Amino acid sequence: MKNIKKILFSFLFVFAFMAVDSAAFAQTNADLSPTRKRAIDSLALEKVKDLSRYISIIGNKSTQYSEAMRVIDRAMELFSDGAEMGVSSVNSKAIRYYGVRKYFDRLMALNYDQVEIDWFNIQYISDLEKQPDGRYVGVITIFQRFQGKSADGLVQYSDVTKKDITVYVERKKTIIAGREIGFWDVMLGDVRVSETKRN
Amino acid sequence: MTIINNIFLAFFLALVFLSPFSVSAQIGNYLGDESDLYAATKQMNQFFRRFNHEEDKLGNKFDPSSKEFRNNADRKEYINILFDGQNKAVPQNVKDDFVNQVTNSANPTFLEFHGGDWFAEVTTRFVYEGREQDLTLFMKLQEEKVGSKWVISNVYFEPFAKIMGKDIQDPTKFLHPLSHELDFMNLRKIFDEPQKLKEVKNYVEANHKTDYVSLFLYEVARNALQFKTVTNVKFHFFQIDNWYLEVSRFNRGGYNNGWLISNLARITPQNKDVLLNYIYSNGN
Repeated sequence: MKNIKKILFSFLFVFAFMAVDSAAFAQTNADLSPTRKRAIDSLALEKVKDLSRYISIIGNKSTQYSEAMRVIDRAMELFSDGAEMGVSSVNSKAIRYYGVRKYFDRLMALNYDQVEIDWFNIQYISDLEKQPDGRYVGVITIFQRFQGKSADGLVQYSDVTKKDITVYVERKKTIIAGREIGFWDVMLGDVRVSETKRN
Repeated sequence: MTIINNIFLAFFLALVFLSPFSVSAQIGNYLGDESDLYAATKQMNQFFRRFNHEEDKLGNKFDPSSKEFRNNADRKEYINILFDGQNKAVPQNVKDDFVNQVTNSANPTFLEFHGGDWFAEVTTRFVYEGREQDLTLFMKLQEEKVGSKWVISNVYFEPFAKIMGKDIQDPTKFLHPLSHELDFMNLRKIFDEPQKLKEVKNYVEANHKTDYVSLFLYEVARNALQFKTVTNVKFHFFQIDNWYLEVSRFNRGGYNNGWLISNLARITPQNKDVLLNYIYSNGN
């Protein structure tokens, strides 16, 4: 039921966006207006929230293996090809690089009896910048708390990480009822994961 | 400064805890007390926006037509919280002079992402001659026909610097002006002895500058340099007349963290070049 709602929401969101977008975009291909940028920010934030939700499910020890694999596949659909996770800790500033799927596989296989992944109620969205291939790029920053616990609930490992998530925004076209409609497609790219010191 | 910090903190905590956040409760189990995360300057993008007063304390962008956008009076407060509060090397009167200049109501100065005169210093690790070594890439934002991109503008690598040394020539080393009459047979004296190879730089034209980017590209192309990782990033700004700023990321507890001004200095056009050379040679 949740999935149906989600799909319906995404559909409505994309089409509402298309409807707002198509008329104005037919006139110009110039830089994004502030209103359009805000709409794209919302769309990008939805993708990031999807990713956050998927990470929580993949890391959760009560998630069945088959369900985790299905969620990993869904999560992979959010990313553009070749996206990587770059991970560093407080003790080692050097970035370790993982393909996104490998990162999810490692998350699923963590050796704790219980894993809790929670998110802080904060996100920061950069401006969108145009790159030489015409696509726009932005970065959304979110913060996650991870806790690995033993069977009796004792916290064995805990950290807070900052996730800086690359967002690519691309103008695409589709034909609906014989009419060409433009829409903005959002894909996630490289993610920088850095452990954050607090207090 | 402490009073300003306290006012900021009180205002900030009130905003954080009293205002409903429309996008909350969608990811799931949210945690409390993210006030330090709000206070952190989380991206360089936010550093620009805070410096210019283009967003509120929760990170919401001001409309460019609003009176808050780039409001000079409020900027003073913002800019003050953008300094690394633990760095006592920059005197308060220097900070005050800087803030007064950039917020001067007759001629305010802003930082511009596409304004040039700023660059990144990226510390990386490469394997070279069998061991991992630090190599510094200096990167700048290059404007293109469409959009922009970061490019490598300079390189510092100690093994290169040791061999190439400074671009200074020894006046006692030269090929005499009639060498051509002898088919430059005296070149042999430069190249024959391995210990003298470092001295070959004395025989190139006077205004020659060592091109470390080309050396770097050559070593990468022949796979002698193998990239491992990035270990640090900071930024140098020369965008504001008569001032140099260094911006670094501070990962620590409390409210003074994230991307902050780690160094500030008054400069003249003359000592700007000296400072640039100092940065490009990693302080050597």
